[in-house]
Amino acid sequence: MIRWLRSRMSVKLAALVLGGTTIVFALVLGYSYYSSREIILAEAEKNARNLSFSVARRIEQEFRAIAKVPENLAAFLEIGRLDKDTLLQLLRRTVEDNREIFGSTVSFEPFCLDEGQRYFAPYYFKTNEGLAYEQIGSDTYDYFVKDWYYLPKVLKAPLWTEPYFDEGGGRIVMVTYSCPFFERDPVAGRGRLRGVVTADVSLEWLAKLVGSIQIAGSGYCFIVSETGAFVTHPRKDLIMSESMFSLAEELHDVNLRTIGIAMTREESGFVDVGSTMTGQDAFLAYARIPSTGWSLAAVFPKTELLAEVNELHRTNVLLAAVALLLLLTVSLLVARSIARPLRTMALATKRVAQGELDINLSSVRSQDEVGQLAAAFVRMTEGLKERDRIRNTFGRYLTREVVNRLLESKDGLRLGGENREITMIMSDLRGFTALTTSLPPEKLLAYLNRYLGKMVDILIDYQGIIDEIIGDGILAFFGAPEPLEDHPARAVACALQMQAAMDEINALNEADGLPRLDMGIAVNTGYVVVGNIGSEKRAKYGAVGSQVNFTGRMESFTVGGQVLISSTTYERVAGLLDVRNVLEVEMKGIPGKVALYDVRGIKGEYNVTLADTADTLIVLKQAVTAQVYLLDQKVVSSAGVAARITEVSLTTAVLVLPEPVARWTDVRIIVGDDRTEQVRGEAYGKVISMTKAEDRYQMVVRFTSASPEAQKIFREAVHSS
Amino acid sequence: MNLHQVERILCKPLIVLICLVFFLTCDGIGTETSLKQVSLLPQWIPQAQFAGYMVAVEKGFYRDAGLNLTLVEGGPGKPPFDLVASGNVTFCTEWLSNGIKKRSAGLQVVNLAQVIQKSSMMLVAKKKSGINSLKDLEGKKVGLWVDHFFLQPMVLFRKNNLKVDVILNYSSVGLFLKGGVDAMSAMWYNEYHTILNSGLNKDELTAIFCSEEGLNFPEDGLYCMEQTFRDDPEMCRAFAAASLRGWLYAFEHEQETLEIVMKYAQAAHTGTNKAHQRWMLARMKDLILSSGDTERVGKLRPADYELVGGVLKEFRLIDNLPNFDDFYRGQK
Repeated sequence: MIRWLRSRMSVKLAALVLGGTTIVFALVLGYSYYSSREIILAEAEKNARNLSFSVARRIEQEFRAIAKVPENLAAFLEIGRLDKDTLLQLLRRTVEDNREIFGSTVSFEPFCLDEGQRYFAPYYFKTNEGLAYEQIGSDTYDYFVKDWYYLPKVLKAPLWTEPYFDEGGGRIVMVTYSCPFFERDPVAGRGRLRGVVTADVSLEWLAKLVGSIQIAGSGYCFIVSETGAFVTHPRKDLIMSESMFSLAEELHDVNLRTIGIAMTREESGFVDVGSTMTGQDAFLAYARIPSTGWSLAAVFPKTELLAEVNELHRTNVLLAAVALLLLLTVSLLVARSIARPLRTMALATKRVAQGELDINLSSVRSQDEVGQLAAAFVRMTEGLKERDRIRNTFGRYLTREVVNRLLESKDGLRLGGENREITMIMSDLRGFTALTTSLPPEKLLAYLNRYLGKMVDILIDYQGIIDEIIGDGILAFFGAPEPLEDHPARAVACALQMQAAMDEINALNEADGLPRLDMGIAVNTGYVVVGNIGSEKRAKYGAVGSQVNFTGRMESFTVGGQVLISSTTYERVAGLLDVRNVLEVEMKGIPGKVALYDVRGIKGEYNVTLADTADTLIVLKQAVTAQVYLLDQKVVSSAGVAARITEVSLTTAVLVLPEPVARWTDVRIIVGDDRTEQVRGEAYGKVISMTKAEDRYQMVVRFTSASPEAQKIFREAVHSS
Repeated sequence: MNLHQVERILCKPLIVLICLVFFLTCDGIGTETSLKQVSLLPQWIPQAQFAGYMVAVEKGFYRDAGLNLTLVEGGPGKPPFDLVASGNVTFCTEWLSNGIKKRSAGLQVVNLAQVIQKSSMMLVAKKKSGINSLKDLEGKKVGLWVDHFFLQPMVLFRKNNLKVDVILNYSSVGLFLKGGVDAMSAMWYNEYHTILNSGLNKDELTAIFCSEEGLNFPEDGLYCMEQTFRDDPEMCRAFAAASLRGWLYAFEHEQETLEIVMKYAQAAHTGTNKAHQRWMLARMKDLILSSGDTERVGKLRPADYELVGGVLKEFRLIDNLPNFDDFYRGQK
């Protein structure tokens, strides 16, 4: 699976792009989320603090205003004496006129106002039915020991009480501002306590005030007293029973206790209150209400503060996901557009490697680098095709090895040569030249090329280098440019093979009504100079040297069907050869006799043997008359010698002459009557033996070619014999 | 025969009629009307200080003991011994020192069980006031509750030759929190926790325990008139046993007990909260099972009796210490 993934560029590209972009997105989104959170929270804190401050101040103002009332009354009571009625009226007005005051009392020390009365504590308070009046002191309600009375007495100062349920007075939950008043002596100053003036504030009213404060979402305000007890709270069950500390204890929340302590001791603050108090994570901003020492808190659920930011973030993440998806799709598409043509080209390359050079990349249409690559690829294959064509073309004219050498080796084209021992073979067709006049050109060339084609095939087989083809003659050599260890044996075997192939060619020729061809081959081994002969503009790979000339001269001694090898060649392959004959000839310019070996077969690795030709001379019953003309260097002399053909075979004829002819002379024989001028047949041959018989000379001529008429005559003569 | 057996028998139709007759004529079967009607007045408002008795009522332990007990709501203005003496209530809870004083003064009360075995009385001071130990109270303003709460602190001061400025404290912790006094007397199971939950941390307070200053006076006990005891000692013992059973159950079932206590407290509008009652119940366990030995639950030891009596006599609050066996009628 991993390998498959790694082999596909589209996957890699997509993964990289996606991975990179995801990381970038994650970083950016993460940063933006957290910084916007921070901003929101900072803003929220500011707002929260402001809100708690302003609410606290509002309540402070209320309380300050409320406190003023008993303070003023207390001051008044200190200054002068009041009679009961006036006092009661004053008290009544106090409660009536002040909306925020639930009730008010002036409670006197025992027997202070009236020496007969222990308790004197008139109390006006509001009810549903209107203003009510009570004397709150009694045996069942000893107000002297109540906090609202006793505490200011002991402390000698006004104070706000803790919230309490007043069972003696208004029978509601309230807080009381108690203001003690004393005897005032102009000299001694403050004296004994005379009583306490109170203003009761209903917690209902306070709760309504605090409850009316709007905080976004499910936030709310609450007030705790100096001891952390809940004075107002949306949860009514907390009021008068729980405090921040009891809640903290019950909920095992140390943080809450810490906050409670901070609230009861510090002026203001902004804290993370967690989720124990409100059920969800929230912030809490608190501010002191100085007069009462209470603390107002505003609670903001975190989720609501961060709701918008979270929503934004969610949207961002969604958009990012969509973007990534799009990116994935696009990058896959892009990668595919690159990968597909590349894959096509990879397949094409495989085919090119297998030799298939017809590549069609028209499916790659783009103009970009990939398209350019495809175009270049096609140009390359076309170049390869061209090179192959050139190579093949060259191969027609030069052997493949030479072509390869020229095209592939650095030095291939270098002119200049080297001295090398090679084995050369030279061949030509006997009597072909004579046919050049009698056959039409196309037929002549076809005739020739049939022969040459076969010979070239054999030469290529034996890795011979064809130096020249001049007309019907071939000069080839073995052992250059690539060195061949067994070039003598190879050359001999090749020559023999070529001779052997003549039967096949002649069979085809006869079938086409074309005359027989006989080939003679000479094989010679020696040192020559091989290399690129010519100039930059026109050159050939060939051999030069005296040994080349010698090979040509050897060749002239061959008769059809014969392979003659030189002594140097013979010495190199002697053990393998089946030598029929050794000819001793004289060559111009070379002293003494030159031995030429007539070879019929080679054993060993190549193992080629020529079939013996059924070549028995048949004695003619009736001798055929002929004229013999001597050929001196292929020039026919006009003087002809009358002769009689006494024996004839497919390849040879025995003639009787009055004059001798030198051995190895090329002769032209006109088969026909002396008397008639009608040329009946023509044949060419070589004198291979000359013997004297009484007063006549017997000449054995080996045919090199015979015209069809001559052949017909011979055949008739043979059949009638 | 109890109700379960009755139900089983009632299932058999042939005997139904017979049982009905039997039911009507025989007074040996348990019904509502044959439980003894009694009442118990705790010495203060309903709180975990009296959890054992609430539990005993709710779980039917008194019923099992043959008592139909009414738990009277206690509080200020309801002196327990007065109401027992007047016959308004059968039983009450009160401090040992008070019991001895009353007995010595002639009121024939008897102790049926000594529930709280230790003193929970303490003095609490703000370290901020410079009070870190008992001797630092010299010259300071100390808020003391009146009546019998006065005794131990005063004895403490006199024993340690401390001159303090005593200010009477008529209510809870307000005077102390507002700074009217530097220290105040408090009950370990009650006001001490109230102070903690008013925003003062433990490390900001100095706590002086009477129990550690040689004044380990056992406190709450169960009392009734001697006559009541003489008339029906079994009932009194059964009452004491059921009460102690209630306490033991309460200590084993904290959650359930707290629910019961909160029910009674809220019915009386005491304005308490669970955290406070939880603390109080835990302290009760410490005070009632102080020896850790359930065998000793509710037993008044002569040594403790001597200790308390001795101090009372020393400070001339009593003339003579009544006879132990006359006073204490509970388990020995």
